[in-house]
Amino acid sequence: MRDEPYRWIEAIQDRRDYIEDELRLGSPVVGVTYDEGMMLLTVSKGQRKIFEVHDRIALSAIGHPADIERLRMLVTDTASVQGFQNATEDINLHRLTNYTLAPAFKQAFESIAGEAYIIKMLLAELGSTSGKNQFTGINFDGIVRTDPSFAVIAGTETIETGMQKYLTATKTDADRDLTTAFQLALETWAIGKELSSREPEEAESEDAQLETQQIYQIIDTAREEGEIEAGVLEASQQGTSKFRLLTSQQIEDALS
Amino acid sequence: MHYNGDFLNLRGAGLQELAPHGGINHKGDFLDLLRYAKYPLKIELPPETARHGADVEIAHSTTVVAVLYRDGVMIAGDRRATAGTSVIYDRAEKVLQIDRHSALAISGSPAIAYEIARILEHSFQYFRRSQLQELSLEGKLRMLSRLIRENLSMALQGIGGVIPIFALYDLNAADDGNGGKIFFYDALGAHFENVDFATTGSGSIWIRGVLRYLSRFGETALHEMDQRQAAIAILRLLDIASEYDAATSGYNAKVKIFPTLKTVTRTGVNTVSDDDLAAWYAEAQPNVEE
Repeated sequence: MRDEPYRWIEAIQDRRDYIEDELRLGSPVVGVTYDEGMMLLTVSKGQRKIFEVHDRIALSAIGHPADIERLRMLVTDTASVQGFQNATEDINLHRLTNYTLAPAFKQAFESIAGEAYIIKMLLAELGSTSGKNQFTGINFDGIVRTDPSFAVIAGTETIETGMQKYLTATKTDADRDLTTAFQLALETWAIGKELSSREPEEAESEDAQLETQQIYQIIDTAREEGEIEAGVLEASQQGTSKFRLLTSQQIEDALS
Repeated sequence: MHYNGDFLNLRGAGLQELAPHGGINHKGDFLDLLRYAKYPLKIELPPETARHGADVEIAHSTTVVAVLYRDGVMIAGDRRATAGTSVIYDRAEKVLQIDRHSALAISGSPAIAYEIARILEHSFQYFRRSQLQELSLEGKLRMLSRLIRENLSMALQGIGGVIPIFALYDLNAADDGNGGKIFFYDALGAHFENVDFATTGSGSIWIRGVLRYLSRFGETALHEMDQRQAAIAILRLLDIASEYDAATSGYNAKVKIFPTLKTVTRTGVNTVSDDDLAAWYAEAQPNVEE
């Protein structure tokens, strides 16, 4: 097929449509910072979706569970071995995304004869004394985006844009505390959830202007089917590993 | 293609071989992973350098000791490192934290011991990260057994033997119980639980009897001691060991070098501060003139 460029491009486009279709209903993930670190939050149904990769790196993704697992193991293995061979301080997200993950994503996406990864990934890296906090999103085609203060992944770009709008409009200080960050992330998640439940055309045309009450209704409904999952990277955490999952008790406390 | 920036590996296996399609290592086994990445776990020696095993004395030049006290385990070691009859270093750390609730005290060849401690630390983390749960207590003990057994050839050649004491806190213990556990290993990697205390290294022969005495007939039994009492007992024991064993250091008053003392309790592993040690050392040695 490669000797026919037009057909190749068409096949890639088909593949893109197919993957986006598969991803559209995925439960979004929101990443925000707070005074002591960074948080990744989603609402999951049974399958765990937020993971510890290394001392200062956490991962979350939407997509097919088998693909998530495979790529999660790829980056965890790589970080573990390199962190052992050199020092754990030498592990950084930039190298992991650009040299390990993004090429794997791109290769799978463009090998049209092979299987595609149905995945979007969001990683967070807690800055050390020298570096800054960083969120990195990787699309299924291997495109990498980074942001120091917040990031979202959701089924389509339209949903993501709607969520980002909410995040930037709801201006709270960058030194918000854990509870405020949790609420902001959860509300943003609800916006994404609402947008993903609309038809694609609708989602594009309308703004996600929801009342707080509506937002919490969406959250309540979602909690009946799944559970809120939040992982944080916190500088004050004892020991070298800075990741912890919030317990269900801590989540209840943050909600009330 | 080579992306991990490792110059030694330029012509060898790269980490890109941890193939995304492979599904190579879903047991959470860090040793397998290291082998796959072609990390040399053993130092290869030419066979002609092999010595006969009979004259091997494995544990040497150190005193490390662990006792079960009221809150958990107190684990300690002196600070001296020797080569033959020379003292080459007097600030060696022989008690190493492995994870939040375990610590390893090492005696024997430092190069291998530090490597074992590092592999152990990374293995526990790797298991948690890949398998999404903590490695069990039994799993942790087995991992250390495997590492010691891997090292057997070095031990038999008399250049790399390691005999550790492993102290853990079992979080499954009842709230009012003592979850502190002390394990002693032999050169083949078998582990034995020591209920009250364990000691190893060249100075250990001088204090094992004292430990037994304290445990059995002491005014306060070891396991009933509070942190201060346990620390004072351990400082005294290390002092005795340093009196009789040239490879064990005591307290160096000139430069204030104390033994390393760590506690392994429900709240985690903590290092006893130099200030506490100074105060307790003064109590432990009432007749020493400043």
